[in-house]
Amino acid sequence: MARQRLDPDLESMLLFTDVGINILKGRRRQGGGRRHRLRRFVGEQSRTGSWVLRGVSTQIAAGESVAVLGLKNSGRTEFLRLAAGTLIPDEGVVRRRAQVLPMIDLGRAFGRGFTVRQNIYLLGGLLGLTPDKVESALPEIVETARLAPNIDKYLRGASALTRQKLAWAIAMAVNAPVVAADEMLVVGDVEFRKRCLAHVERLRAAGTTFLVSTDVPRKFEGFFDRAIVLHNGGVVADGALADGLALLRELRLANTVAGTEKDDIR
Amino acid sequence: MLIPAALAYRNGVRIIWEHRQVLRMLVLRDLQKQYTKFRLGYLWTLLEPLGMALVLWFVFTQLLGGQKLGLQPYFLFIAVGILPWWWFSRGVSRAARTFRRNPALLRMSVLPTKIWVIRVVLVAMAEYLLSLPVVLIAMLATRTLPGPLIVLFPVAIIVQFFLMYGLAMLIAAGAAVIPDLARIVRIVLRATFYLSPVLYSIANIPAGAQVIAAINPLVGILGLYRIGFWPTEIDSLPHYGISLGVTVAVFISGLVVFHRLEGRILKES
Repeated sequence: MARQRLDPDLESMLLFTDVGINILKGRRRQGGGRRHRLRRFVGEQSRTGSWVLRGVSTQIAAGESVAVLGLKNSGRTEFLRLAAGTLIPDEGVVRRRAQVLPMIDLGRAFGRGFTVRQNIYLLGGLLGLTPDKVESALPEIVETARLAPNIDKYLRGASALTRQKLAWAIAMAVNAPVVAADEMLVVGDVEFRKRCLAHVERLRAAGTTFLVSTDVPRKFEGFFDRAIVLHNGGVVADGALADGLALLRELRLANTVAGTEKDDIR
Repeated sequence: MLIPAALAYRNGVRIIWEHRQVLRMLVLRDLQKQYTKFRLGYLWTLLEPLGMALVLWFVFTQLLGGQKLGLQPYFLFIAVGILPWWWFSRGVSRAARTFRRNPALLRMSVLPTKIWVIRVVLVAMAEYLLSLPVVLIAMLATRTLPGPLIVLFPVAIIVQFFLMYGLAMLIAAGAAVIPDLARIVRIVLRATFYLSPVLYSIANIPAGAQVIAAINPLVGILGLYRIGFWPTEIDSLPHYGISLGVTVAVFISGLVVFHRLEGRILKES
């Protein structure tokens, strides 16, 4: 994991120190401003970006399950990506004691022209598994995703649900000590969700640390020890899940009342 | 300037070594995808440059036979030159698309960002190596045997690899930050084809212009490829020196630029 430099002596599992990330939001969709682009290339820092997160300092202890809450565009995904090292902060440092597995947008990495088996090796490789580790985990992955008879068929025709299940099964085979996930943590149909939840619970009991960004924390009934609420680029609450949820409700209400619906359009 | 480059270089070698299994898989998959897409599969890798060389040979010896262009036999001359050119042009245009093609990969993968560029570089090189039988075919067709200086042929491959590595880092990083670069690259590539001694030898252009032309790193590389067949190409050795110097500069700046832009590449995904 060259992208994740590990700090074995760190006291907590993850340590964010004054972390800030500056991103130009929705810029690609707006398209505009070739001049801006050039200037940004030349300039040291982007001048038109906004701080999605700034001054975020927090630590996550080993074995904690933390819900990362917030409205749309509050920087939850960025928070997770910073934790996993798939984003490099513009300010501050993120230190980690153990490998963090990013479970974000997993299903999209599958190659269309590849068979199920090839895709398992591919995604496994992207998540840091060596081919021989994938090989030993292969039966279990295929069994979990219920793809055993189709293993050498192309994934092209598979439904989104199947893809999600497969991605989930592969990610779980990594057995990472820290998981940074969005809704991907629990996927599939009702029955599969139950299995996901049971599996994730077992991992938690065994000491895995979880960072989960979700819009539906209720889905995880009793799973979280703690909630971090992100708003306006910073942590506005950090504590019990119930308090976090209450604050989130307030924020949502205020948002609707103020009519800033554009916040919800991503 | 040199210290970060040396660091980044060591980093690059380490990355390749540590992730050799994943890289091998990615490269093999890419090749497989290409070769299974068409009925003739691998044959296209030979037929395409062969056809191209044939067309160019026809145009420049049969239609425009008057001038003395390049060196004889011209068919072999074109074949030796066109393959590295394709490696160059494909490598460069794919590098420009590296981070546009599948941004999701960056978002969820724990692999070092460099891997995606290295993959593109390796695929382009593998394609080149697989197309080398074209040179053999051209040698058979023209009944030409190379001299002892053919030992410089593999050297040229290594030099071109370093050029492609640096260039791909430079262009991939640049295109991730400025999307327009991908289009600029296409135009520049077209011009580079005529500015590089693919159809002609560096000795064909006016002596005064040779020094300037040699800034193009392909001059030295193509020269090294050809010395084995045409020992007179060694007369241009000083020019090869210039373009090798440029190759080193491209390599180092590629590593430095990529290193500096990595954070922004990740943000763009």
